[in-house]
Amino acid sequence: MEKNITSSPQSATPGRKKTTSRFVILADRLADRIITIGGILVIFVVLGIMVFLVKETYPLFVGGIETDTHNYSVTRPDSEILTMGLDDNKTMACILLKNGLVKIFHAKTGMPLCPPILSFKDKISSFGGSIDQNHIAFGFADGTVRTAQVEFESQVIALENLPQNLKKLDKRDSTDGLSVFSQIPGNQYRKVTFKIITQDPVKVSPSDNAIIALDYRVGGETEKRIQVFAAADKDQNIILSKIKSRVNLLTGKRRATVKTISLPKLPDNLKVHSVLLTEKADMAFVADKDGTVYRFNAHNFKSPFLAETTRLLSSDNQLTIIGFLAGEQSLVVGGTDSSLDIYFLTHNDTGKTLDGKSLVKARSYNIGRSPAIEFTPVQRGKSFAVARKNGEASVIHATSEKTLLDFSIGENIKSAGIALTPRVDGFLTICDNGNVILKEFLAPHPEITFSTLFKKVWYEGYPGPTYTWQSSAGSDDYEPKLSLIPLIFGSVKAAFYSLLFAVPIAILGAIYTSEFLGVKTKNIVKPTMELMASIPSVVLGFIAALILAPLVETWIAAVLVAFVVVPVFLVIGSLLWQLLPQHIALQLDGTPKIMLMALTVVAALFATENFGHLFEQLFFSGNFKAWVNHDIGDGRGLLFLMAMPFSMTFTSLFMSVYLRNFLAGLTSGFTQVQAAIFDIVKLLFIAIIASFISFGIAWIADTLGFDARNGILGSYVQRNTLVVGFAMGFAVIPIIYTIAEDALTAVPNHLRAASLGCGATPWQTAIWIIMPTAASGIFSAIMIGMGRAVGETMIVVMAAGNTPLLDWNIFNGLRALSATIAVELPEAVKEGTLYRVLFLAGLVLFAITFVINTIAELVRLKYRKQTAML
Amino acid sequence: MNSLKLTQKPPGNVFTGSKGINLDSKGEKYLWSMGGALIIGLIMIAAFLLLILVNGLKTFYPGPVHRVTLTDNKVIAGEPFRREKISQDQTLETSRKDTCSARRTLYKTGNFDLYNKDFRWVDEQDIKQISEPKDIFYIERTEWGPFIGYIHELNLNHETFSFSWERLSQLKKEHKAAQARRNILEDLKKKEMGSINHELDNLRLSLKRVELDHGKDSARYKTTLDSFSAKRKKLEENYSEIADKIEILIKKDAEYSVVLKDISGIEKRVNISDIIRFYPANNLTLSQKAGIYISRWIEFLTAEPREANIEGGVMPAIFGTFAMTLLMVIIVAPLGVMASLFLKEYAKQGKLVSMVRVCVNNLAGVPSIVYGAFGLGFFAYCVGTTVDRIFFPEYLPNPVYGTGGILWAALTLALLTLPVVIVATEEALAAVPQSLREGSLACGASKWQTIKNIVLPNALPGIMTGLILAMARGAGEVAPLMLVGVVKLAPELPVDTIFPFIHPERSFMHLGFHIFDVGFQSRNAEAGKPMVFVTTLLLISLIGLMNAFAIHIRSRMKKKYSAGQ
Repeated sequence: MEKNITSSPQSATPGRKKTTSRFVILADRLADRIITIGGILVIFVVLGIMVFLVKETYPLFVGGIETDTHNYSVTRPDSEILTMGLDDNKTMACILLKNGLVKIFHAKTGMPLCPPILSFKDKISSFGGSIDQNHIAFGFADGTVRTAQVEFESQVIALENLPQNLKKLDKRDSTDGLSVFSQIPGNQYRKVTFKIITQDPVKVSPSDNAIIALDYRVGGETEKRIQVFAAADKDQNIILSKIKSRVNLLTGKRRATVKTISLPKLPDNLKVHSVLLTEKADMAFVADKDGTVYRFNAHNFKSPFLAETTRLLSSDNQLTIIGFLAGEQSLVVGGTDSSLDIYFLTHNDTGKTLDGKSLVKARSYNIGRSPAIEFTPVQRGKSFAVARKNGEASVIHATSEKTLLDFSIGENIKSAGIALTPRVDGFLTICDNGNVILKEFLAPHPEITFSTLFKKVWYEGYPGPTYTWQSSAGSDDYEPKLSLIPLIFGSVKAAFYSLLFAVPIAILGAIYTSEFLGVKTKNIVKPTMELMASIPSVVLGFIAALILAPLVETWIAAVLVAFVVVPVFLVIGSLLWQLLPQHIALQLDGTPKIMLMALTVVAALFATENFGHLFEQLFFSGNFKAWVNHDIGDGRGLLFLMAMPFSMTFTSLFMSVYLRNFLAGLTSGFTQVQAAIFDIVKLLFIAIIASFISFGIAWIADTLGFDARNGILGSYVQRNTLVVGFAMGFAVIPIIYTIAEDALTAVPNHLRAASLGCGATPWQTAIWIIMPTAASGIFSAIMIGMGRAVGETMIVVMAAGNTPLLDWNIFNGLRALSATIAVELPEAVKEGTLYRVLFLAGLVLFAITFVINTIAELVRLKYRKQTAML
Repeated sequence: MNSLKLTQKPPGNVFTGSKGINLDSKGEKYLWSMGGALIIGLIMIAAFLLLILVNGLKTFYPGPVHRVTLTDNKVIAGEPFRREKISQDQTLETSRKDTCSARRTLYKTGNFDLYNKDFRWVDEQDIKQISEPKDIFYIERTEWGPFIGYIHELNLNHETFSFSWERLSQLKKEHKAAQARRNILEDLKKKEMGSINHELDNLRLSLKRVELDHGKDSARYKTTLDSFSAKRKKLEENYSEIADKIEILIKKDAEYSVVLKDISGIEKRVNISDIIRFYPANNLTLSQKAGIYISRWIEFLTAEPREANIEGGVMPAIFGTFAMTLLMVIIVAPLGVMASLFLKEYAKQGKLVSMVRVCVNNLAGVPSIVYGAFGLGFFAYCVGTTVDRIFFPEYLPNPVYGTGGILWAALTLALLTLPVVIVATEEALAAVPQSLREGSLACGASKWQTIKNIVLPNALPGIMTGLILAMARGAGEVAPLMLVGVVKLAPELPVDTIFPFIHPERSFMHLGFHIFDVGFQSRNAEAGKPMVFVTTLLLISLIGLMNAFAIHIRSRMKKKYSAGQ
């Protein structure tokens, strides 16, 4: 310090240097820069959280991005295309033709490769196969069927084992004529070879008629295989055929038994478009060319029956495409009227069908506005590709209706066949003129759109559109259901019920502390309440879930009666207090009064245990849990209780407005004690009148069919919102209490003095002068408490049961946004869909709390200005 | 109704009796409901603390063991754990409507290996007789939880003695020796074998590093490979030497065992070295009980957890909590002070700064789990994977920094508490009277000199308060840690004797997560409960201590300023 003074320019001491030392200037500038840059940086980093969250979630909402297009010609197909295939890495494509030829070529350049040769004696008349196209079947004109196994075999080989004399195809790939070798990271090569293994023919049509439509499914293990066909022959006979084959473990020979049955005869004018089988072969669909679908239930293979006949197209239209999506619960149907719809097979017992299921239209797609002529589903997931008559082609995700790829092959150029890669990142189409287009695209999150996250979505197997959160399940065909609505609802529900409990306690407590407590008592009470805030939420969660939840479950009636008994006891306490002569009351004011109140509350809590049973008998038919579960009783008891506060208020208001003069006349000249007794009588009178009114209301409401058990109450679950609300109270009460108390204390004292000086009682001052002045501060306290309640994590993780439901039942659990993030994020695949959706959940939580806190903060700042002016 | 009164006539005066008394004006009923609300709040906190305190403190106290004869002449032995009234539904379930005041007792029967459960409810009306036999022992073991029963036989060095009270001191002596042996064994297993494993790992990784840097064909790789094989051979020899030693010790351990008998006479042989503590539960003097109580506390505070964390100690969790909080403060203190200095002293006070202030204030209210998600996504996955790619390519595909760890956890919590620190520091800076600054500047000090010598020292108590409050909050947060590196059982501490001594990438244990884990993920919630209570007590006292310290500093600061101004 001294040095600074002496070296400062203002120093008046003669003979000293009057320049500032360079070091000081340097240090000053350095500090200036560091603090400015550092400070700005820190603030940016903190604000950067939001930017990062947005960055992590943004890819969810991006559609497919086209990355590359390959355009070339191959020899024009000289026969109808049965099916096409494209391997996982977009290296090789294959085409099966109706004339029995197979063509394979390099997918990116069109360079033809040496195809395997199939030797079929007869003419192929139909074709069918599983969704993944690994198991296919050909139907022949002589009524036989041959199955085949198709595979793009992929092998990783080291550089050393790479064959010599390969022909270069492009930067990555080369070929030896049969297989394609692609370079992959780590000095290795991937060898892709197309393989097809055909089996011997099986006779399916009993009358050796040509098979005109066919579907084929394989089940069971390799040793015990079950192959099922559904076929339609020339005479419109529908045949179901099952081959059970078993490998003898000793000889290694396969023995097969064939069972064939004819399905019930369909109308004569039937023109079969296609036949479809479900995966377990328990259902067969026959589609007529006019859009009529006949559904056979083959659950019992020996006696299949026609379960449903329905027309999926409007009249005068012809069916263009029909097929299953992976999972085989959705049927994609396209007609000549350009419609493209998805039908679900839902459990829907309308009595119209014989097995309680029916086909229901779930979605329609109207893009392109031209009839779809080619259709292919993806092997896993719910995406599919269609090519339209006018030359447009698109890849769509069925559930989210997100367009992953949309382009035009060329004006009115017809596609002859299309193929999709299993990973939904490549689309190949071959046109009539031999032109081939391979589109490479990226669609990392096809199943997510704004609608699937925030609107009702109709999922397979559900009776209708719902908000569902179900991020994982055991089976492979499972489609994750990621609606954020149940989670947001859970957070809001938890916050709402905990505030319902916490706000009265915190605000009333704050008013009493600020206006009616002495300084000394206040200095003990306030820090004690604030102590509550420092309890870690994990402890609250543990106590709530493992100690409180079982306790509340056992003593639910007593817990509920406490909400009635405690206020009643307090009112009784106040009535008795009024009986005290003035001078004694004045002497006991302050700490002794608080002690008396404490005693009253404790007495009330003790009383609840005994009242619980009586209460249950009176209002809940003797057993609360059974009552709430709709097992016994009616809703009248609860309706009565709910109507009681309103009718009490109404009656006392009525009395004070219309009977005020009468009562004033009656009480004139009363002493304190007499007035107190009169007050008791008055209250009793009000209570009796109110009971009658409430009973009337309850009776009427019950007759009209109101029952609270369908709304805020319902069946009881151990880890429920009541427990969460109570535990959350510990977290929220101290926050609201502290801020509200500060706001009340900040009201300038001269207002109090003026009010009291005018003759108002402390109560009147508090309620009519202090409260309105501090109202905005109190509001901001509640908002901040709400922000905390919405984001609280450990309590809801541990005590809320984590069931994503959408109901207000206080006795049911919930699943909050925060809990979902905490539970699911550690297991979510990095940068996967669930990972990003959980980050979106975080962003939503961030946004909610940020908005709530900003409102609170702005109100608080305004309030501060206001009080400063007073 | 009161507003009507106010507008129509002056409020009734209580003291003049002329017009009668209007009790409504005093609002006594409402006063009582307000007071009642406050009392409920106070009762909540008091009951909560009492619950934690009582359960936490009583857990380690050795209780008596009852021998309970049931009405069906079955006999069980156990420590009475908890008594409760059976509520109505439960009586209805057991079809005993007549006994509204029925009670039941939870007995800790131990012997999980024999009964497949630790606890048993006994209805009081099923009890024929309760006695407290003097010779029942409560034996804590390293495996299977406690054993409650009799000591039947001692097998010491191939000699067999049947147990009697005279043998107790001998058993105690042997127990001490066995414990010493167990410690040596643990040391061998953990330290020596661990360090050999660690060296082997290091060798393998450095070899891989050379391979990655220079290729497999390089001369350097070949020389490294040679030295690697030589070193590995030597280490493997060492390893087998230690393994031999361990085997000898284990063999010796097996020669010292006791045969225990449960209350119904089932025998069970236990090595003495597997016994942690044993005492005749009904034959203890008060000082012996106190000794057991203290020794259990010491074990709790210093030992590592056993049996899926439900027994043993929480030392790694204490250490983890402590290290993480400290690291967090080291990160958050300079950043927070810098940001608030900028906001208060350097930035132009305008609309923008007040908006930033509102934002920072709001960030204090953003849920901690959001920070956790950010920490996982940004620190571990973004920064961590980059660090791994550049500095630790030989570990791939195993992540080093690319997953949760104590450094990321501390950084995440630092971000979480940053707004708290900024707000507190700003308040402290604002509390420094402007006159002090002006005085310093007038004397010719530069801005930085003023801040360094005048403002910061005066604001220090306030800053410290903010930091301690941040620490208290950080120590109690669990949700974000679940995402960024806390684990139920960390094999190694983040600080140890293996170079480079501090390992900020390691995952760690935390008291708060310990509560969650033991309370919710252990095989038997009932058996875990006492442990959870004790851990809770520890955590709450830790946080309470920090808060009390902060309050103390705050009040001292207040006094200082009120005196100074």
